[in-house]
Amino acid sequence: MQTLRMNAGLLSSFLEALKAFGTLVAPVERSPGVFALEAIDDVSQARPDALRTILPFKKLLLKPRFVMLERRQGQYGTDGADNDLGPVVYFGAHSCDIHALRILDLLYLSDYVDPYYKRNRDRLTVVGYGCMPDGKCFCQSMDTSTIDKDFDMFLTPLDGRYLVTVNSARGDDIVRANQHLFQPATRRDVQEYLERLKEREKAFTLSLDVTDLPYVLELKKDDPVWEELGKKCLCCGSCSMVCPTCACFNVRDECPEEDSAQRVRTWDACLYREYALVAGGHNFRAARADRVKNRYYHKQEAFVREFGMPSCVGCGRCIENCPTGINVVEVFQYVRGEA
Amino acid sequence: MSVSLPEQLPARSAPRKLATGVNPYAPAQARIMRVQDLTSEIRLFDLRFTDTALAESFNFRPGQFVELSVLGVGEGPFSLPSSPTRRGMFQLGIRRAGTLTNYLFDHVIEGDSVGIRGPLGNGFPVELFEGQDVLLVAGGLGMVPLRGLLHYLIDQRDRFGRVMLLYGTRTPDQVLFRDELESLARRGDAEILLSVDNAQGKPWGGRVGVVTELLDQVSFDVTNTYAIACGPPVFYKFMLEKLVARGFGRHRIFLSLERRMECGIGKCGHCAVGYTFTCLHGPVFSYWDAINLPELIYT
Repeated sequence: MQTLRMNAGLLSSFLEALKAFGTLVAPVERSPGVFALEAIDDVSQARPDALRTILPFKKLLLKPRFVMLERRQGQYGTDGADNDLGPVVYFGAHSCDIHALRILDLLYLSDYVDPYYKRNRDRLTVVGYGCMPDGKCFCQSMDTSTIDKDFDMFLTPLDGRYLVTVNSARGDDIVRANQHLFQPATRRDVQEYLERLKEREKAFTLSLDVTDLPYVLELKKDDPVWEELGKKCLCCGSCSMVCPTCACFNVRDECPEEDSAQRVRTWDACLYREYALVAGGHNFRAARADRVKNRYYHKQEAFVREFGMPSCVGCGRCIENCPTGINVVEVFQYVRGEA
Repeated sequence: MSVSLPEQLPARSAPRKLATGVNPYAPAQARIMRVQDLTSEIRLFDLRFTDTALAESFNFRPGQFVELSVLGVGEGPFSLPSSPTRRGMFQLGIRRAGTLTNYLFDHVIEGDSVGIRGPLGNGFPVELFEGQDVLLVAGGLGMVPLRGLLHYLIDQRDRFGRVMLLYGTRTPDQVLFRDELESLARRGDAEILLSVDNAQGKPWGGRVGVVTELLDQVSFDVTNTYAIACGPPVFYKFMLEKLVARGFGRHRIFLSLERRMECGIGKCGHCAVGYTFTCLHGPVFSYWDAINLPELIYT
């Protein structure tokens, strides 16, 4: 790890320089206050100060729909080319976003490696950006409010300048190709970073009590709160779509034209009615209450049991997007009998 | 005769690959060598991989499964009713139940090719059974995976103690592998008891009643026996607790579960129950593990 500084006025030059390392993807403002991740050419469009984009970066690593296998005029293709992203520089990732990538890595790069994910992930450069929480952020509770690995560079905004963390050989390549943009960090820069860190820790207004949560959920598995929640949840799947770690998918075959066939992979959500349906018509989670409960248990109990950490990073996207106002923090307060 | 099986690896191990290819989503081609009707609804397919090296090396544990697909139609998980002790070909017992299986019944004939991915899942912990008595209890289509295990035990008969099979179906014409089972029983390789819920006035030499009642017909030493159960949810509901009532420890009972195993490699999420991906941690679980995930057995 290496720590540098960059003057704030040099940000555009830095972003221009990043283009040499891949397609630049950054948050842009689609409409007032609404941000989305997009590939950009005009660097002035980049809005790294955007707190959360509608969809997280997963939308580019594994597209909402792509062809995994194909047969065209008797020839088989298995390259998944329409999911191929090419080299990409993801600028503006917050700490929670980077933690989410780590969770996707655990799922897709362990055991049987997912080749479609891996190809995009291997060519991804991550340049993070320091944020300040709003009332929907609870990453502090999930221990994902800071990040010290699995990114290439990280810019933390200070007064008129950035503290620049270089965390990989690829990050070092970027710095060495653009030495004129950077200077060594001073003691004052470090001091200001520490003050900002303290200020940021104090800025959180939402917190989720994770104490013993997997066991609390085990104790509450038959509790009526899940029925109540099932009545409120529409099972629309919005929370899953916007979640940076929800990565379930469905596979189905299509024949777009005669003599061609495709095996298509699309996003799916455990909240959908058909999700646990098996041949013969038996549905293992036909009730909405069971499906909504399953989602919370997967995030906060199941993933902890399997990987040693929850698969929620506290980004607040599900809170922001739920049409009936379900708030994950309130759900767990309710489960604990505190609300 | 003795075979060595692939190691039963923990779920989420270091990177590994399927026998059928580096890309775990891409199937290998296998040819349908023979098709037999087991009942009007269930058909037995004999398959052999087109690639000779793969055909000869394909090894699996009894209780594992494969994903069979026809590109353009679909893909689905099927358990293996054959044993790795018999190499070169493998079998799938398939019930007509949906788009893919209808296609297999109506359009696929001997000589056609299909896609296969696998082997998938953990399989039965057969190493534990060595030197022990083994009690297989099957309900309905649950006989399909247990037949692979039965062949495995019979083909290495001296490595195991008593081999018992209790098998129940609704009616006599739904009994799978009936001739074969009766012949095994006659040869004394296995103690086999069959029952049907209703004989429907047809000639039937076995018992009439629910399969759980067969348990009362045999005696066993529960300290030296493993019970392996496979059947539909209602079968588990009664059979598992009855085994416990007969004195089996929950760690001495194993069961194989059906879920929507779509990717088969613990990624797509459809077969997840709690922290368990049925395709990766299962489909075989001890009763102790399964009872701690209530959704797993009774839904």
